[in-house]
Amino acid sequence: MIRWSIFLLSVTLAVAASRPQTLGVPPPLLSKYVPSKSNTWTCLDGSKEIPWNFVNDDSCDCPDGSDELGTAACPNTTFWCKNEGHIGAIIQGSRVNDGLCEPECCDGSDEQPGVCPNNCKEIGEAYRKKKDEENKIRKTGSKIRSTYIAFASKEIRRLQVEVMQLNDDIKVKEREVQRLEDVAERTEALSQQALDEKKESPLYQTLLSHRNALKSLQREHKKHLEREKALGQILDTLRTGYNPNYQDMAVLEAVRGWEELAGLPHINDVGKDDATKEEEAREEVAVEEPLEDGAWTAMQLEYQLDSLLNQNLETLLIQHEEHINAPSEPSSLFDIASYLPDSILPLYEDFKDSLTSSLEKLGIVKASGRSSADSSAARLALTNAQNELRTMEASISSKEESIRKIYDVTGFGAEGQWKKLDNLCLEKDTGDYTYEVCLFNEVKQKPNHGGQTFSLGRYESWNPSPDVSPGSPEYYSKQVYARGTRCWNGPERNTKVLLSCGIENAILTVQELEKCEYQITGTTPALCLPLEDSKKGSRDEL
Amino acid sequence: MRSFAFLSILALYLTQETFAFKAHDFKTCEQSGFCRRGRALAARSKEAKSSWVSPYSVDPASVNVSADQAVFTAGVKSSLYPDINFGLEVRIQEDGVARVRMDEIGGLRKRYDEAASWALIEEPKLSRDIKWTTGKQDIRAVYGDKKDIQVIVAYNPLRISLVRNGKEQVVLNDNGLLHMEHFRTKQEPPAIAEGTEETPSDDSQVVMQVENPRAWFEGDKEDALWEETFGSWTDSKPKGPESLSLDINFPNHNVVYGIPQHATNLALPSTTGEGAKYSDPYRLYNSDVFEYLADSPVSLYGSIPLMHAHSADSTVAIFNAVGSDTWIDVSHASDKSTETHWVSESGIMDVFILPGPTPADVFKQYARLTGSTVMPAHWSLGYHQCRWNYVSTDDVRGVQKRFDEEDMPVDVFWLDIEYADDHKYFMWNEKTFPDPVEMTNDVAANGRKMVVIVDPHLKRANDYPAFQAASELGILVKPKSGEGEYEGWCWPGSSSWTDFFNPAAWDWWKSMFKTQSPDGKWSWTKSTTDIHIWNDMNEPSVFNGPEISMPRDNVHYGGWEHRDVHNINGMLFSNLTSQAVAERTDPPQRPFVLTRAFYAGSQRFGAMWTGDNLGTWEHMAVGIKMVLANNLGGFSFSGSDVGGFFGNPEPEMLVRWYQVGAMAPFFRAHAHIDTKRREPYLLEPKYKDIVKGILRLRYTQLPIWYTAFRETSVTGLPVLRPQFVMFPKDKTGFTIDDQYYIGSSGLLVKPVTVKGATSSDVYYDYFNHHAYRGAAKGKTITVPAELHQLPLFVRGGSILATRERPRRASSLMKKDPFTLRVALSKSGDARGELYLDDGVTYDHLKGDFVWRSFEASKAGKKGVRLTNKDLGSAKPDQAVDGAALSTYNPQNNFANSIESVRVEKIVVVGLSAKPSTVKVEGGSDLIWEWTAGVAASEKKEGAASILSITVKDLKVAITKDWAILIQ
Repeated sequence: MIRWSIFLLSVTLAVAASRPQTLGVPPPLLSKYVPSKSNTWTCLDGSKEIPWNFVNDDSCDCPDGSDELGTAACPNTTFWCKNEGHIGAIIQGSRVNDGLCEPECCDGSDEQPGVCPNNCKEIGEAYRKKKDEENKIRKTGSKIRSTYIAFASKEIRRLQVEVMQLNDDIKVKEREVQRLEDVAERTEALSQQALDEKKESPLYQTLLSHRNALKSLQREHKKHLEREKALGQILDTLRTGYNPNYQDMAVLEAVRGWEELAGLPHINDVGKDDATKEEEAREEVAVEEPLEDGAWTAMQLEYQLDSLLNQNLETLLIQHEEHINAPSEPSSLFDIASYLPDSILPLYEDFKDSLTSSLEKLGIVKASGRSSADSSAARLALTNAQNELRTMEASISSKEESIRKIYDVTGFGAEGQWKKLDNLCLEKDTGDYTYEVCLFNEVKQKPNHGGQTFSLGRYESWNPSPDVSPGSPEYYSKQVYARGTRCWNGPERNTKVLLSCGIENAILTVQELEKCEYQITGTTPALCLPLEDSKKGSRDEL
Repeated sequence: MRSFAFLSILALYLTQETFAFKAHDFKTCEQSGFCRRGRALAARSKEAKSSWVSPYSVDPASVNVSADQAVFTAGVKSSLYPDINFGLEVRIQEDGVARVRMDEIGGLRKRYDEAASWALIEEPKLSRDIKWTTGKQDIRAVYGDKKDIQVIVAYNPLRISLVRNGKEQVVLNDNGLLHMEHFRTKQEPPAIAEGTEETPSDDSQVVMQVENPRAWFEGDKEDALWEETFGSWTDSKPKGPESLSLDINFPNHNVVYGIPQHATNLALPSTTGEGAKYSDPYRLYNSDVFEYLADSPVSLYGSIPLMHAHSADSTVAIFNAVGSDTWIDVSHASDKSTETHWVSESGIMDVFILPGPTPADVFKQYARLTGSTVMPAHWSLGYHQCRWNYVSTDDVRGVQKRFDEEDMPVDVFWLDIEYADDHKYFMWNEKTFPDPVEMTNDVAANGRKMVVIVDPHLKRANDYPAFQAASELGILVKPKSGEGEYEGWCWPGSSSWTDFFNPAAWDWWKSMFKTQSPDGKWSWTKSTTDIHIWNDMNEPSVFNGPEISMPRDNVHYGGWEHRDVHNINGMLFSNLTSQAVAERTDPPQRPFVLTRAFYAGSQRFGAMWTGDNLGTWEHMAVGIKMVLANNLGGFSFSGSDVGGFFGNPEPEMLVRWYQVGAMAPFFRAHAHIDTKRREPYLLEPKYKDIVKGILRLRYTQLPIWYTAFRETSVTGLPVLRPQFVMFPKDKTGFTIDDQYYIGSSGLLVKPVTVKGATSSDVYYDYFNHHAYRGAAKGKTITVPAELHQLPLFVRGGSILATRERPRRASSLMKKDPFTLRVALSKSGDARGELYLDDGVTYDHLKGDFVWRSFEASKAGKKGVRLTNKDLGSAKPDQAVDGAALSTYNPQNNFANSIESVRVEKIVVVGLSAKPSTVKVEGGSDLIWEWTAGVAASEKKEGAASILSITVKDLKVAITKDWAILIQ
């Protein structure tokens, strides 16, 4: 504590007479800024007693800076500007008396008198006008928002009704399954032995080994195709995204090599007409080798080889027998379906349909009516019924999950206001790219002039910051999309979608702030809270 | 948590990085024909030992001394080629610098002789006080204040030496390695080819001498005289061999510094002979080296062929004004001496010998040749925030907003190449930068500036006005045919380069930067005078060229080949850009231009940085040495990118790097496009607070930096002064290159590591005033260096003027009061200076400035008297650069504008006893607080005594004379 001799009191810095000594002190603290009877004042932290006229004398006396809220003399203080005619504001003390008129202080009180004009009347009016406009948007937006809320509750009712209906249906179906089981068990009776003997035929064995060889070839082929595709993607990305900063002629060579191989135009070539290049490229692609008779095309290999390989050889065996023995009537003795376990049955039936149809198309078999496999109608009916039951059960639990998510704070919001926007896709054309945000699903970057579409991330969560409480407006103003397509030589792409209240669901801006990290801003009525709430909020502020 | 500095060092070297430096992109000496020939010559001389005699000699009959004695000329012959004539010229300049020139006379072609004309500020004035004495075997000039300097030209063999007090300081051709390859016509096939095929060269010496009498000197076969291939590039060498080899010895100096830019120690390690650290010579060939190594002699972005040689007795330097590719071997034949061997691809010999004898003399002598570091715009000493790239106008606004929210000071926001549409500089990408002028105004509204990149390559595009105009004017660099336009590859793809050696390019380039088109021609109207310029890639960097640059046989204005001017080329670009930026307004205002490539003289045109460094501890450490080397090279306005350009520095490294950056003349954070954002506000609170403190420290100390720049601009003494500059006689300090002093302020900084104070004086910790004692012999002490602590000390006897009120930007501090920090010496006194001007215009050259001297002297037994006196009136002729004012008016416009700026606080450290009164003489008593502690006059270490005075008296103004008595 320092004591002051009387004459010291006279040695003070001149403070502009027109300015109150409590300049910069916010209203709640005003009561503490009064002189003592001996005309002294104690720093707010109680550490020091100073003469009253040291307060706001542009000289820092208190360790906590509390004596200089109206000047910049002490570090890390704040300044209150009254802004009569508008609303008061707090600015950093470092902005006081720096020669700049702070926009927050429309009364100009942050600078010496005469430096800044008092614009509070105009600013206040403009502010109110702006506020009115915002409120208008908010009002309209919140109306739309309430339709979203209504949609959510309707959705829930719809789902609940469906769940009830499904529950009833399930009971019925369960009884049916029971019944069909009995029937199927009774009708099934045939020995395995007969079939096994037939399988010893050389024809069957050769077929079997051919199929194994083909399967192995196909596996290897697929592996290579995938590898080629991956390499192509890497090279495509390299081609469109390579960075000449690396000044790496090796990269340039690689890009040019790939372009030649893949028949692509040279991406950065200058001096050449783009159109001619494209043509050249196309010509190159058009040249293909002619096929031998009966040889499969690449398309056939891709789409028909699987069917061929999945052909049930046992069926063929039986058909072969039939063909030799009794070509006219399909035998009802060999019911392949009856040899198969239940779980494979539906697959088998599907396969058989597609096989026959494709064989028909290829002209290998004639459409000569259904095979013997049709006969186990009972088993088939049972399996169908069981499947239907399972589908119903799955449907119920998914609907129940949907119901739960609608009113989840971390899902579609406590009022379900976001449900309406589930998988709503918004687009923004930025020239080179069109960005697509499918809310709660995925963000994509689609090139407008050809090239690969990249995923910029799949929906992950609302604002994950620990400082933000789930359910708050701040929480819903940010969505995180992560684990998008990996960048060449970089991380997986990800996106932050920043939303604010607006009468439309729309994307405003897209920026790649650092490599592979995107920031998208947009508006949505779902963030327009009813005005009543906000008024309460702003009153609290004051 | 580490609490002491020596532990920090361990951590430094644990962090290893993998490097991506592409050695194969750049030549080694072995891959460079003329360097190979130069080193082979040196090897032959080594082998021949004492029997080696230089073939070059002066023809005594031709010796001539001008009437005023200042110029000596003579004819020189080489016994190898008796028909070839060389001319030697020695001039003694006013300040004692001896300039030695040699050229081929009447040769087939002309050697490039214009390097000096680009480097020098003017033709040096010649001495009028000199006497040449002709002897039988030599001629000598005697001069100097005490007639203690001699320049001796020995005739046969030719040997030129500078001697002071009988001791040889610098000797040219001491080892007989001088060789100026004369111009010749190509002969095919070479006459000696037959002989070499049969016999192995080692055993064939005798045989060869019979066939080729020059083989003892030149070797037995022609080596890359007429063509040279490197990688996929072939250099056509139309002029044939024309290299210059020259040995320069310092018989009495064991340490050499300088020849920036290399990532190596300040005291240059040997490259040949015993204990050589490197196998290749130091190289000067401006190069864009991708991810350069942190310890290597390879050439980097800039070249200053200035070498200091130092001993406890004297300092000398040589400036070798050559612009072509130059290799320099350094060796130490004894522990007293240094030998150097310089091999340049082309150009005349034009060597300036700077006689010293103190470091300060050498700096002054060099500044008189090439000019001093220019007085920068005040704001450019603030903090610069850069990134490749801020992606839009809104991004820039957002970054500014975040700085302001955190109350972190920053002066400049930077835009890298992505602002430009297709990398067509001046042309904004209208999608991302639709409102560049408004953006710049938003930045300027907070008292800040922008720096925008403009590179020297012009995209060859018909819709690019800059390229079109340059093409029409015919001012683009030509290919080897000498016809048409050279086309290379850079950021925009196919590009061409403006030839700034062509005077026709100058006015055009200046017109490009006008913010309003004066004549309807294209100019950068979408810019404002708050935008300043960054010149990058001006080595020049050519992605598909040999050594990532232009082919050497490209043709410049005047028919000179690129090889002749390569190292000078980049300087012309920043020279013209800085003129262009200055002349946007009338009257002109100080420009800020950052350049990556540089040459001797570049200090006149702006700032440099150490290029594309890596975010590693090694690069952080070597960056300090590189900046120090640049300071010795006359280019004080320099710095390294904070954080490292490549990579993502961990927070600890980033904090340390901010401490390094805040203590460098040029303070910029920058980051590669592939890095995560790392603006300081993004750090976690505990690191953010430290960095905020560092930024504020920088702004607090801006008056110190600005005052140091004034001194540099006038005297050439660098802003950063390594130990040997401060204490030239202290041998232990010669190799210290990780700590330095800031100007004459008395501030000593040792970023991160331990401190070695070398003087018998007292040093105070800048932050807590802990007193340390140095020793006359030098002494190493260990100081605390936790992450938040920057080892920064004030030398006893110093007075620092600071501004301690935090502000958003430096321009907003001009009316803020000052704090004086008085650090008493052992004898109880102290002094300091403060220089201020408007920081923007050139009005200071007319006398609009304030230059004050603060002095503390003993008053009575325990008291101190502190005064503020006008230095401007006392020394008007020494106040500002380039304008020896005869008078100074203390009431000048600038002084009047800060009349009300006062001193608000005075801290006196090291008083021996608590005073009883503190008062302004002829004025009031002042308020003060006393903290007892160690006094300056004691021998103890520990917390020093602190007298903290709060000044409320308006009379204690910064521009007024006053005295404060502490008793």
